[in-house]
Amino acid sequence: MEFAARYTDGLTADVRDVLCVIDLAADPIALVILDAQSREVIDRWPALEVYLLHSRMMELRVANRQKPSGARLAVAGINDMRSALNLLPQLAQRQRADSWTQFRILALATAALASVIVAYLYGIPLLADRLVAYVPPAWEVKIGDTAATQIEASMTKGKGYVLCDADPNSVANLAIARFVSNVFDGLGSPFRPHVTVVRSNIPNAFALPGGRAYYLSTLIQASRTPDEFAGVLAHELGHVYYRHGMETLIASSTTGLLVGFVLGDMTGISAAAAIGTNLIDNRFSRRAEAQADRFAAEAAARLGFSSKGLVDLLERVASDDEFSRALALFSNHPLTDERRRALEALEVPVAHPKPIFTDVEWQAIRDMCPPPLPPPLPKQISAS
Amino acid sequence: MSTAQAQGRIGRVEFTGSRHELMLVILRGYSLMIPTLGLYRFWLATWKRRFYWQNTVIDGDPLEYTGTATQLLFGFFFALAFFLPIYIGLFVLSMQESTYVVFGYLGAVVIVWFLMGYAVYRARDFRLSRTLWRGIRFDLRGNAWAYAFRRFFWSILMLVTLGLVYPWMASSLWKYRWRNTWFGDRRFEIAGNWRAFAAPYYGAYLLNLLTVGGTIVWSAYSHDFFMVGAVPLPGPLSTLLAIGCVIVFALSLAWYRTRSASRMLSTVSCGEAKLSVKITTGALFGQFVAYVFAVAGVLLLLLLTVAIVLGGVYAMSSAGGKADAASLMSMFQSGTLNVALLILAYLIVLGAFGLLADLILSFGWWRLLARGATITSPDSLRTVRSTAEDRALIGQGLADALNVGAY
Repeated sequence: MEFAARYTDGLTADVRDVLCVIDLAADPIALVILDAQSREVIDRWPALEVYLLHSRMMELRVANRQKPSGARLAVAGINDMRSALNLLPQLAQRQRADSWTQFRILALATAALASVIVAYLYGIPLLADRLVAYVPPAWEVKIGDTAATQIEASMTKGKGYVLCDADPNSVANLAIARFVSNVFDGLGSPFRPHVTVVRSNIPNAFALPGGRAYYLSTLIQASRTPDEFAGVLAHELGHVYYRHGMETLIASSTTGLLVGFVLGDMTGISAAAAIGTNLIDNRFSRRAEAQADRFAAEAAARLGFSSKGLVDLLERVASDDEFSRALALFSNHPLTDERRRALEALEVPVAHPKPIFTDVEWQAIRDMCPPPLPPPLPKQISAS
Repeated sequence: MSTAQAQGRIGRVEFTGSRHELMLVILRGYSLMIPTLGLYRFWLATWKRRFYWQNTVIDGDPLEYTGTATQLLFGFFFALAFFLPIYIGLFVLSMQESTYVVFGYLGAVVIVWFLMGYAVYRARDFRLSRTLWRGIRFDLRGNAWAYAFRRFFWSILMLVTLGLVYPWMASSLWKYRWRNTWFGDRRFEIAGNWRAFAAPYYGAYLLNLLTVGGTIVWSAYSHDFFMVGAVPLPGPLSTLLAIGCVIVFALSLAWYRTRSASRMLSTVSCGEAKLSVKITTGALFGQFVAYVFAVAGVLLLLLLTVAIVLGGVYAMSSAGGKADAASLMSMFQSGTLNVALLILAYLIVLGAFGLLADLILSFGWWRLLARGATITSPDSLRTVRSTAEDRALIGQGLADALNVGAY
């Protein structure tokens, strides 16, 4: 039995048509390669050293471990392929072994990657916690200053905030400052938070690294009781106390690396990378929100106001936007229902609730940023 | 066969692969990418290359791709070493004052752009040094850093001259690549220069400038637009004109690509063997059209699927008697399921478009190139001898990390 093939020796590009026969008498058994026309022997390949390479359909490509790496026999046509496989039954052996090796490498790499991801998802909050402790507070304050100017520029398109009450010694500002120092009293935090009330039509409040907190005027208008206002403010102070801004910075800068690793795009410019990074970061931020809620509840218990106001206010603001609830995992505030349950569990009934702000103070805070007046009525044309 | 006959013989290049076969390779790859958290992409890339290489038959003998997925995987790990310092640098930077941050990010963009040149060259080196034809290995010598610098400085010139210097840039980079390309112990030569690019490039440049500029000027002059906030949107006639601009752009792109590739590649030679490539503009434009229709078809299919699924969900939620938005929303309240569905939908969309681009554009271009190519006096290549193995390359590294590797 014999088969026809195209042969290269791996040394020159001189390809030739050959016939291959098996020499069972040789020791070890050899595949003899003959010139197709003259039938003179070109080469002898030890039959046990041959193996199959990946090739297109209807072709076998055979290489030999003992020959130069480019030495090949290419067998085409169904009859020749069948004879080759019959003559060299061990041909596909190495290919099978190789597939198995590939599978093992792939499985190992996947397992390693999976464990990195799991370790990351559960470990980074802990790690960020620890790492934050090593960031000097002064550094964090500086970062907060940078972030503040960036956010101010982007929120107001470079025009700068419109402060509701520029006088730090006004009744409202003094009341807020007193509340802040009461909340932080005795906690041993290196930060001295400063709250700025800013005119904006977005109902929101946020805290930056280093102790800057912002309360937007629309959210004050939405607050019905001092407890609601105080609850949200205490929540933001919780972010300051736990240094969540700094933690997020540390966590999200490593998230990009991990997501890039999975998707193969280290630049992170693809939409997939952005979405993936967002999903993971929001996991951390939801944890931070829960922590800040707990801080608010504890502050409420200590100072004697009701932490229920926090949920009431958030719910009132969120109810405007049903769709945001459906996508709650994407937003950086957890589901209000979940939060309400968590907060209710934390709430300590206060025996003798005392108002956190006096009536005068609360009125002053409400009046810091009155809603803009309606446009003036057209002037009456006096008949003359 | 006499010497005169051998000299006059013309070697043909064929492409024997089918889209169907490639589709099976890609679908298999996509489905294995999910359980392997994306790592199978290195295996998929390897299988795709095997498909393209093996089915490209030059003068009777197919190319062979000898690279392995493990090499790509390890190369990717090495590339990470490049990125860690950049990442740490950006992290420290993001805590500085805002002017530094802006300059820092600009710097990072510049560094990445520079590294891309290096990556592209290394990726080409990786592919060539793992390509065999008639048992002889190709190779890319030269210095990847030198190439990166070249490409970087040319791209600065491009910015300064508003793209007018492009023909010189393209010819300089092509020359560097081809004159460092080897088949065994024989070097490739390329004779083409900027003239090969000038006519199609400036032609396309001018044509698009005229159509786009003309459309903008016309719609501004005839007030055929309306404002949505501060954003002007084109009116009905302007929309038609804009579609016309896109068609002109696609046509000129097809013309530029086929003309410049045909002219440039037809000046490539390896010893006495000379390459000749003929690709028609119509053939490439036909692929663009096919791609647009395929994308539209897939979008329609996806929209229909979403409509049917949403309809089903709505029917389920209204089965209890009240069909209001709230009960529909309540079905999406469960966060985890919600996110899993979104991710799945996203992956399907991403996969569908990736598949289309691979099947129509990449496949089409490769096949056009292969089928349009012929080699004069291919027998002169028989004397090429192999060189020592190039084992220095660990994967294509950066190219995988920067997502610039084609085919």
